[in-house]
Amino acid sequence: MEERFPTNYSVLLAGPPGVGKFEYLLARIREDLRLGEKVAFVTLDMSPTEIRTRAKALHVDLSAHEGKSLVFVDCYSATSSDRPEPPTGKKTFLVSSFSNLEGISMAMSKAGQELGTPVRIYFYTISTLFLHNSPQAIAKFFQIVTSRSKTNLGFILYAVHEGVHEPLTMNLLRSLVDGVIEMRFTDSMEREMRIHHMRGYTVDAAWRRFSQLPEAVVNL
Amino acid sequence: MMPAAARAPTERAKTGIAILDQRLQGGFPRGCTLLLFSDKPTEKRIFGENFAVQGARSGERSLYVDFFRAPQLARGELKRFGPVDASKLIIVDATSSQLLLPSPEKYHIDDISNLDTIREAIIAAMRAEKPERIVIDSMEFLMDRFPKEDVLRLWRELIEAAHATGAIICFLFINWTLAEQDLVQIRSMVEFVVEFQSSLRGGIVRNSMRLSQMGADGVKTNWIPYAFKDLIGLTVYFPRILVTGPFNAGKSTIVRALSEKSVSIDRMGTTVAFDYGNVNVTGIEAEIFGTPGQERFEFIFKIFAREVSGVLLVIDATRPEELPRAKQMLDLVGPRIPYVVLANKSDLPGALAAMDIHRRMDLPEDVPVIATVATEDRGVRDALLILAEMIIGVR
Repeated sequence: MEERFPTNYSVLLAGPPGVGKFEYLLARIREDLRLGEKVAFVTLDMSPTEIRTRAKALHVDLSAHEGKSLVFVDCYSATSSDRPEPPTGKKTFLVSSFSNLEGISMAMSKAGQELGTPVRIYFYTISTLFLHNSPQAIAKFFQIVTSRSKTNLGFILYAVHEGVHEPLTMNLLRSLVDGVIEMRFTDSMEREMRIHHMRGYTVDAAWRRFSQLPEAVVNL
Repeated sequence: MMPAAARAPTERAKTGIAILDQRLQGGFPRGCTLLLFSDKPTEKRIFGENFAVQGARSGERSLYVDFFRAPQLARGELKRFGPVDASKLIIVDATSSQLLLPSPEKYHIDDISNLDTIREAIIAAMRAEKPERIVIDSMEFLMDRFPKEDVLRLWRELIEAAHATGAIICFLFINWTLAEQDLVQIRSMVEFVVEFQSSLRGGIVRNSMRLSQMGADGVKTNWIPYAFKDLIGLTVYFPRILVTGPFNAGKSTIVRALSEKSVSIDRMGTTVAFDYGNVNVTGIEAEIFGTPGQERFEFIFKIFAREVSGVLLVIDATRPEELPRAKQMLDLVGPRIPYVVLANKSDLPGALAAMDIHRRMDLPEDVPVIATVATEDRGVRDALLILAEMIIGVR
């Protein structure tokens, strides 16, 4: 298949905590930005400051793009005990709470409006929502957001932690997206990934080793 | 029971949206219950906030129960509406305890996992402050955490407690998990339902709302497009009103007469591309587009005729021979789009009366013909207001 995810498409990236989902997202984002794409990063697990710092350590400079071709939808800061981040002069869409599913969805639309569509959305992680909302509410939210992203915004990739959700929940999330990418640790703690399926594309679903940024970026 | 006279500055509770208040005979009646509802994510919170802020601005007290936002964040976000006396806007803080932080507010819910604690805290604040308006943001927070029957019981108790003090209580609710029969039950508990829709078209978020009063002969509106305006609040906003009509009828002059700012792309005094104006008339905002009248520019007309909220059809009242052409232009817009006919240049000798034009064009009975003099700004604003009322279904 081609190296980039198509527009009007949705992907779930599943893997155990620590396997390298965040680094993979950063690699995709770096590539998108290099190609002049617009990117919205929806963060539930880290503050934008932390993401900027971690990206920098991996030689990905997000700040040069922020406000122009990259914005954060920040669902993290308002609920962290140290209160919203001080303004950095960069446009961030603040969501009041992990429970405010409606707010998250509208902030994503607003981010799309701000950047101009099509936009590539990276959602990190859907797992966090499960600590604050019922699986039923999340399922409906997930279905609506995926459909809105695909039809009106562009492309969306959700990261989800493997091994913390019920099998039924994981299957439901997998059934609601166009493609699934999986990551795992081998017995010797090597990291492997595979493309499980991509609707409309023939894929080689074999497991492949990958190593972390910045040394190597695994292409799809 | 009505609140004491001193506590109720006006008979009804204004929404601050002129065209809606007019239809509601001044606003919502005291002691009623509102449901702000949607099935999908929308920007209905703006309506709830607007309702609370309008109350505080008109000397009433508003109680805002916020399950999602830290009060510091809520107060910060409410500043977008412009200056409001903070003491008139009482927040019941339901988030500080979730974050294990001390609350800066007088009223707070300390145990969010206990429905009795939640009930007691809200009702205690209602009794102590006797607010005229109460906003509960939002019921889905509770519906997602507690058994359905328990939440419905709390819902009824809050309505009763509000009725007892003559307050208007307004519930925000997005349905994530309930079945239709549960929604029927919820609707039956309230007097007014405001439904919301948000869509993203062409990369722009568009919001609309529809008001229905329960009961057979209650107020019902069409979908009303709205937007948020900094320091003002919620305004009715029509993204596209078309000003059209035959050549030289005065369309550009009408656009100019209505607009705060306008742009015309013309050649030797006649419009060849389009006129554009941004209109703000008594709480209604609109983007108006004037099309050229000549047939050879019909392709431009067709581009603008998409997604039109309503049409102002301008005709030269002194030129009856143009009426068939005017009628033909309406067909280009398509059926079901509301329109008003402006009989322009009605001050000139030989101008046809509005009634004659109505008859000659064989217009449906409910289509108004308004005599206008665009050069003197006469009748033009009335025509736009009438069109606005037709679009949102309050005429």
